Order: sequence, then C-alpha cells, then structure tokens
Amino acid sequence: MTTRSNESWLSDLRSDGLLREAALSDLRSVIQHGLPYALSRWLSPNDPLFTPLVEEVTQETLLRVLDQLDGFEGRSMFTTWVHKIAIRIALTELRRKRWQDSSLDELMDNEESPAPSNLVADHHPTPEAAAERSDMMERVRRILEQELTPKQREALTLLGIQDMPLEEAAKRMKTNRNALYKLLHDARLRLKRRLAMEGLTSQEVLSAFEQK
Amino acid sequence: MSARDVIQNIQDKFKRKEPLSDEVVEGFLRVLEKTRTEDVTCKEVFQQLDEYVEKEVDGKDAARLMPLLREHLDICSDCCDEYEALLDVIEKSTDKQ
Repeated sequence: MTTRSNESWLSDLRSDGLLREAALSDLRSVIQHGLPYALSRWLSPNDPLFTPLVEEVTQETLLRVLDQLDGFEGRSMFTTWVHKIAIRIALTELRRKRWQDSSLDELMDNEESPAPSNLVADHHPTPEAAAERSDMMERVRRILEQELTPKQREALTLLGIQDMPLEEAAKRMKTNRNALYKLLHDARLRLKRRLAMEGLTSQEVLSAFEQK
Repeated sequence: MSARDVIQNIQDKFKRKEPLSDEVVEGFLRVLEKTRTEDVTCKEVFQQLDEYVEKEVDGKDAARLMPLLREHLDICSDCCDEYEALLDVIEKSTDKQ
C-alpha cells in the first residue's frame, strides 16, 4: 500500500483514473484493517454477522468519505478521520440491529428488575438508613416529576430501559441523537438548579443512597 | 366500541404515567454530578473526536487540552463507545500496519 500524506489522499481521491482507483483500494484496506479492532468490544470475528457487516460498513464509509472530502479539516491524520466515520456507521448499524425488533412494550415487559447496585445494598442497611434512602428517593422523584417536560421524561424513561443507547431512544422519539442530548442537558441543568434551590447537591443525594 | 370509547382509550393511554423507576432516578443523578453549564453536543464531539484520540495516543493530556469533550464522553455513552472504538483502532492497528 502506498503511504500517503493527508494532501496526497485528498488529491488522489479527487483525481480521475488509476490514481483514484489505487487510493480507493488502499482506503478500503485501511478501513477493513481497522474495523476488527473497532468492533472487538461488540462482535467476535467468528460471528456470522461479522464479515457481512465489515463489507457493508466499508462500502458505506467509502461513499460517505468521498461525499464529505471537503469537510476534512486536517486536524488529524486523514486515515483517523476515515476510521471515525467507519466507526459511526458500524456502531449505528449494530445498535439498529440489536434494537430493531423490540417494541417498547416488549422491552418493558422483558425488563428484569435487578436490584440497583447502590440503592439496595447487598448487606442489610439499618432501618434509619433505609428510611432516609427511601425519603430521598421520593423527594428526588417528586422534583423530577415537577421539573421535567413530557419530552424530557419520555427520554429518561426510554434511556432507563435496558440501557437503551441515545441513538435508539432518539429514533423512537423521532428526533436525532444531537437534539436528544441537548434536551437531556437542559433537563440536567434544570434539575441541578432546582436541587440547589432546595439546598441539595446531586452528590449529597447520592451519598444518602450509598450510606451504609 | 363507539368512537367516543376509542378516543377515551387513546387519551387514557397517553395519560397513563408509570412512575420513574429508582434506576432511572439514580442514573440521572449520577450524570448530574458531571453536568456543567458549558457543554458540547454529540455533533461537536464527533467533529473533534479524531483530533482528541490522536492527542491521547501521542501521549498528550487530551482531557486537559479539550476538557469539554472529555466531560461529554463521561456523560454520553454513545459517544464514549465511539471514542473507545477509535482509540482501539489507532492504538492497536497502527502498530501492526
């Protein structure tokens, strides 16, 4: 494979004929070399989904890179920028596959309710600590119910279901990940202000939960 | 079932509100600790993620140089997944290329 500077990648991919073909072929190799590392936490190379996914993501990445060449600002190596795009495409596809067949009702029904790690300790809390926890939980829950808009509440509920990714929750709310993140950020700031007005910090509340 | 009943059913469905679970409340509070007024969005993180990861791989203190991006990664699991994947690619694949 030819070693290229950022400028060479850009000029070769923008050229015609053999130069462009060689650059595309090299870029394909770069993407396919990187994807197994990118997917290592998600999918084993032995999984039957692995090879078709890598092929699909490679194709889509090449198309997107060619379409967005003008958007490359040179703040990293060109190949790092390309890997970043491939990862976004791959993880979006994996999340989609993982969640596509699950209706909200099914997810709620199937959701086992494991004891939350810090709220219900594996030892027996004193009755006072348990009562304090329970009071604090009710207080925070009431504040949340008062402060959250219906959309913010919906987002929080969705994200609380089996660790649903932001991207999937956004899709179900017919919005996008960026907008949903902003919506949640507004909710967090709003609640932070409200807790402050009540003389509480999130740390204090959490430590009441964690009190032994 | 009359049209009125159908409409009532639909309205009831939307009015029905399950209480927020303990897990949801606790998860929200955990993130709250890390929430700052100043913030970057997922889109802005994506734009700078390659630069951030390269700084980190080069041994620079990326979190100090780009603190808002680091804070976002601590809060947003979707972006954090992408960051970890990119870090894996750049750290591990570069050695073997």
